[in-house]
Amino acid sequence: MHDRLARAAFVLWAIAALGGCAALPPDLDAAATAHLPARVELAQVPFYPQQEYQCGPAALATVLTAAGAPTTSEQLVDSVFLPGRRGSLQVELLAAARMRERVPYVLPERLTAILEQIAAGRPVLVMQNLGITIAPLWHFAVVVGYDLDAGELILRSGTTQRLTMSTRRFVRAWDRAQRWAFVALAPDEAPADPDRDRYLAAIAAMESIGKLDAAASAYARASQIWPDSAWPRLGLANIAYARQDLHAAEQGYRAALALDGGNVVAHNNLAQILLTRGCRSQARRHALRAAELAAGTSLAPAVAATLREIESPAGSGVAVPQCEPAASTSTPSAPRA
Amino acid sequence: MVHALRKPVIYILIASLLSLGSPALVQAEIIGTLAGLESAQRSSDLAKLSSVLARDEAREKMRALGVDETQLEARLAGLTDSELRGLAERVDELPAGAGVVEVVGIVFIVLLILEAVGVIDIFKKFP
Repeated sequence: MHDRLARAAFVLWAIAALGGCAALPPDLDAAATAHLPARVELAQVPFYPQQEYQCGPAALATVLTAAGAPTTSEQLVDSVFLPGRRGSLQVELLAAARMRERVPYVLPERLTAILEQIAAGRPVLVMQNLGITIAPLWHFAVVVGYDLDAGELILRSGTTQRLTMSTRRFVRAWDRAQRWAFVALAPDEAPADPDRDRYLAAIAAMESIGKLDAAASAYARASQIWPDSAWPRLGLANIAYARQDLHAAEQGYRAALALDGGNVVAHNNLAQILLTRGCRSQARRHALRAAELAAGTSLAPAVAATLREIESPAGSGVAVPQCEPAASTSTPSAPRA
Repeated sequence: MVHALRKPVIYILIASLLSLGSPALVQAEIIGTLAGLESAQRSSDLAKLSSVLARDEAREKMRALGVDETQLEARLAGLTDSELRGLAERVDELPAGAGVVEVVGIVFIVLLILEAVGVIDIFKKFP
């Protein structure tokens, strides 16, 4: 009797687990999709059938080639396939895109965000969990089209060149993978309807790994989109600094501060340049402001280091620093390159 | 006797704690845009692992997971500091996209469990 009850309970549990999540989020009501064409298919997006467990290389080759960086899945195996896990990690896909000068922009977790990119002509690499939460089966595929009326998405997936999947089923598997999706962008092209913080972080990641040319043209694009944001200016200034063009860097930091007088990084980095030029007291002023702004954040140690360097007597001293005229006034908007 | 030792021991402890806490290792240099953005986006997320340590740790983990020695540096080169930290701290928990090939294996395991619990008995038909 007990045995039968236990069995029944197990079967019920298994059915519930296999059934996946409950209701769909109201992603695709008429209002949310009014601005989109009803049907798009990017038929020209290439197809790389997956070998073995290598859906990562295949999906990545698809989006990189479509973004003008021709690659094959074989060439990507060495970059993103992880033998010990028999699969590919998300961050490694992003890293491999960066190394090929393509900006990986991770999309906001909305289905409409995917559709918008497709309507703008960009295939979207997505992660899905085709298994269940307790027995996951992680998979990468590329969404290349959709049909709102039919409620379908079109994917390059595994060994299937044109897989149609109901939106409902897709979202269920996508939900279980925390709705992860990205597009690969040529440096000078912005995503459709960009989320500012996400897009800037994507560009800053390019900068941080030293892909300076790509980052510079992406920042230039971003500063056209958000002329009031200090971050693209700051990014360009940091790139100028990395290229040892301290004059352009200083101008850039001042331009960033003119847009946002509370930007810690601009204050700190300007202080560094002023110190190099021997303008100790001006450097101190910016470093103190930076320290005030950075208190309690992850930037505090870096700012404290700047201050210490400024206060240390052994600091580099230029004999006759020319600080006052150039540095004290705010940017006399010189023509920018 | 013990009491006499107390003071110096406390002083030594305080001194060593202070030296631990001082951020003397941080070199004065410019702050990258990404570090600035991340700091602005997440409030006071103090990094636990220095980026150099994170890279070393991530390198070890990736090597242990079978990444070819000749590819190792090139693969790490594309990762940001926080991504390296993520690999260093929890690479085993991160999902690895493998693809549809494993479906067969999963189905087999589910059948095996159902068989073991006694819900089905297909395997008994093949002695």
